[in-house]
Amino acid sequence: MMDLPRERQPDPALKKRVVSALVTAGLVRRRRVWPVWVMAAAAVVVLGVGVSVLRPRHTLAPGRTYVLLLYQDSTYRMPPKGHSAERVAEIARWADSLYANGKLERGGHLVGPGPIGGLFMIRATSDSDAARIAATCPFTRYGGRQEVKRLEE
Amino acid sequence: MTDDLALVERFLRTRGEDAFDALYDAHTPALYALAMRLTGGDQSEAEDLVQESWVRAVRALSSFRAQSQLRSWLCGLLVNVRRVRIRTDWRMVDAPDLEPVAETGGSDDALDLERAIGTLPEGARDVFVLHDVYGYTHREIAEMLGIVEGTSKSQLTRARSLLRSSLP
Repeated sequence: MMDLPRERQPDPALKKRVVSALVTAGLVRRRRVWPVWVMAAAAVVVLGVGVSVLRPRHTLAPGRTYVLLLYQDSTYRMPPKGHSAERVAEIARWADSLYANGKLERGGHLVGPGPIGGLFMIRATSDSDAARIAATCPFTRYGGRQEVKRLEE
Repeated sequence: MTDDLALVERFLRTRGEDAFDALYDAHTPALYALAMRLTGGDQSEAEDLVQESWVRAVRALSSFRAQSQLRSWLCGLLVNVRRVRIRTDWRMVDAPDLEPVAETGGSDDALDLERAIGTLPEGARDVFVLHDVYGYTHREIAEMLGIVEGTSKSQLTRARSLLRSSLP
């Protein structure tokens, strides 16, 4: 009789049901759900060498996290054919320099449909500091439009 | 034990989903196995039992005392949830005392036993599963089920007798 198994794995969907019931009853706080575009950052594909993506944790500069989005829309001057890697490497050097100063958490070049061509999570002490850091990105030299937003943590 | 207490304390401190995940992962396989046995292998009913048990457990977790094992406490909750559901579920009112054991079509002794357990009357099944499968004492079972130890012993004797006569 004692040989019967005392444990049995339920359907994984049960956990979602249970958590959902607990959250609905106000007994458990739902974990933070990241917006889709931040999740996309986790799947960033790096082109070029040295772009600071998925690196080990490092000491971050004091301040808050801002998200810098780079738009490759109508104002952006694309690199000449065959020179894309140089453009990416140029931005990668900028990213590396920020990373070394603790001003960059992670980020990189985004590949896929849609105008957003790059995403960087930077550290800044204020909105104006974030704008200043964003302005140093070589992307702006090519007419690229940027957007900087503070991440609500 | 210490791990369980740490998990409970972490959950009570944060009430977060991550902390609950750790509790869930540590104890749900045992709760689910128990639920499947108490329901005679009804997966849907077993999942409902596990869900309701966790809701009740989380409500009462702050009253959990370190003197008892968390798993025993959770299993006791599940057994009682099951008993309340039986009392309120009209489908269970006319549950037969003992149905013939279904043909298994194989020689798997454990499977035969699982199926035979599923056909036991509720009271006898609860005691048999808790005592002979999970190793709880009659005193612990009496506490879990709100019965006296003597009833637990007599239900166990009855369960064993029924199983002996129904197994090949």
